[in-house]
Amino acid sequence: MLTLLARILKVLNSQASPWQLGWAVALGLFAGILPFGLLSLLIVLLVCLLTINLSTFILVWGLTEGLMLLLADPLERLTWHYAQNEQLLALLANNEPLQLLHLHHTLTLGAFLLGLILLLPIAWLSQLLVTQYRERVMNSVQKWKLMQMLKASKLFTLYEKLQ
Amino acid sequence: MKNAIGLRPSGWLVFIIFFAALLALVYLLAGPAIRVGMVYSLEKSVGSEVNIDKVSLQLAPLALRIHDLQITDAAKPSHNSLSFSQASAAIELWPALLGYYVVEELSIDGLQYGAQRAQEGAVYRQPGTPGDSIDLAQLLQVDLPDADELIARAQLQTPAKAEALKQLAQAEQQQLTTLKQQLPSKDSLAQYQQQVKALTDSKIENATDLAAKAEQLQQLKQALGEEKAKVEQVKQQLLQSKTALQQAVAELNAASKADYAKVQQLANLSDGGLAGISQILLGDVWGQRISQLQSLYLLVKPYLPEQLPQDSAGSATSAPKVVLPNRILPLPSQPYPDFWVKTARVNWLLGGGEGTLTLNDITAQHALINSATTFSLDVKQLPQLAAFNLSGDFAVLEQMVTNLSWQLEGLNLKPLSLGKGDTALDLAAGLLSSSGKLNLTDNQLSQQASLVLKAANFNSSGNKYLQQLASLLNQQTQIPLNISASGLISAPEVSVRSSLDKLLGDALLGEAKQKVAAYQSELAAKLNSQLQTGLGGQDDWAAMLTQQDGEVADISASIENMLNAKLADAKDQAKDKLKDKLLNKLGGGN
Repeated sequence: MLTLLARILKVLNSQASPWQLGWAVALGLFAGILPFGLLSLLIVLLVCLLTINLSTFILVWGLTEGLMLLLADPLERLTWHYAQNEQLLALLANNEPLQLLHLHHTLTLGAFLLGLILLLPIAWLSQLLVTQYRERVMNSVQKWKLMQMLKASKLFTLYEKLQ
Repeated sequence: MKNAIGLRPSGWLVFIIFFAALLALVYLLAGPAIRVGMVYSLEKSVGSEVNIDKVSLQLAPLALRIHDLQITDAAKPSHNSLSFSQASAAIELWPALLGYYVVEELSIDGLQYGAQRAQEGAVYRQPGTPGDSIDLAQLLQVDLPDADELIARAQLQTPAKAEALKQLAQAEQQQLTTLKQQLPSKDSLAQYQQQVKALTDSKIENATDLAAKAEQLQQLKQALGEEKAKVEQVKQQLLQSKTALQQAVAELNAASKADYAKVQQLANLSDGGLAGISQILLGDVWGQRISQLQSLYLLVKPYLPEQLPQDSAGSATSAPKVVLPNRILPLPSQPYPDFWVKTARVNWLLGGGEGTLTLNDITAQHALINSATTFSLDVKQLPQLAAFNLSGDFAVLEQMVTNLSWQLEGLNLKPLSLGKGDTALDLAAGLLSSSGKLNLTDNQLSQQASLVLKAANFNSSGNKYLQQLASLLNQQTQIPLNISASGLISAPEVSVRSSLDKLLGDALLGEAKQKVAAYQSELAAKLNSQLQTGLGGQDDWAAMLTQQDGEVADISASIENMLNAKLADAKDQAKDKLKDKLLNKLGGGN
């Protein structure tokens, strides 16, 4: 837990731009809600090729995978219910690349659509939160008594090490 | 601070490292991960310790191997319920990339049921009731019924039909009483009569008077019309009551006749024995065992396509609906079934020998491969069994159809006890042969089987009738049984017949046969009495209904007369008055 908190603080206080962090959160969430497959690899490739913050991406991916243990079942049932559309099914049946991406599987299709919908709003919201944190909170947080205590604690040592 | 997102110079390198690390992890950790996952899910499912020695993954060709799997028997932890030494499945790569599991060859070697474990296994959950699983050993564990129970099993219909007739009569009586209250009383009819008479006897003075009286007459006509409608309704109800009662009486008569026939067949005293004794002995037991096949259906249910009428067999149970974690959508055309095992071979160690089970085209989407799943099991020369062959096919098309046939030769029966206490019959030895076939279409079952028990050695320390039965059975060179079952798999109708039925009936029931005869007479008397009571009541009712019908007809005629006759008089009178007036005027002019 301490390591996790230290990592988050490190990333938030790093030189990475808010958009790099925002996209890392959004794509990490996208990769996390998808069952592991070719789509996940494509997202990883995108993250590797662009200057998106890797550690944030991996952190959010891991956290979302954990969250999906709870959310996968309702998402699967919801997709099964709403995907009974003749045109969609015909498109999936006649398109091998889509099947290669496993979009004919309920959970993959549902997660892909949910990820697409959430991608831009999450990226924008995350960069906004990072910007706001850096502008308004970061300096005052440094002065808090709690922060002083944390600096003296094991966490700060860990944070310093990671720096 | 970097502000924009650009290209990472080492991006490809990072990805290649990530991908290589992933492949290495899969290669190194997939086996142990699958092993842990299998142990966890199997233990959760069976409620006892599961051991798997090793699971290995081979990348080219893609194959999974499981070494030495043992599932502890929760009821007997020193033994395994199931174990095998090795299983391997070779999976086709391209279908797997598309998300379909096509297994080229599946083989299981050294499959065993009930093998002893080196160490006692842990039990996490006590096993459920024996009825939850198919237990062939219990097939012949029957309780021999006594005479009263035999009679109870006859399921007579007459009392139920007589009760139904009584209920119907009461309901009809209540309804008629309510309707009768709505009929016009004698007083109100007299009042109508008086009003009509007063109207028609009165003199019509002028045109205004004529109009007023015509209006009054119209109102009376309307009121009488309403009363007539009520009378018609009562007439209709009377007709319905008559029909319903006649039908109920006919049903009671038919039930009574059917019961006579059934008791006659059951007791069959004229032939000196009980026909269908094997039906009574084994019928319910066989039905219960057959219905346990439903548990197999529930097991495969999650893998069946959604379009099939799945709920028909499972609706009676409250089992939660199982849904696979990532289902394939029902595409109009699929290149492969969701899962398809092209060939499977199971080497089965049993009873000191071995059998081979061969299966082809295992899937739940047979229309896609245009072929049914076929299976055959061959077992030969075991110490306790001369030969056993089981073959069949299974296809899920518009309906789920399973065909099964078997041939069993020379099964040495272990000593077993039929019944308990006074009615215990012990089978010390015997040689069983059987052949039969079974068809299951969705949840509709049709099954025929013949069983022959040879060299049977029965003992009984129970009552003298059972001792007599054991002696008679031991004198037979063979005891044949024909068993057929049909209907819903959860509640099949079973028929068990044997050419020895009469013999068995004589021996088994002995004095009980006389009880049956006495009961038959008693029953005949009771049925007659019930029938007479029902019919007697029906006579009263018929008379009452006829009487009611007559009264209603009288009322109806009376109203009709009033409506027609008085209306005509009023018109005539008005005509006469007009005529007189005209004549007077003409006369006055002369």
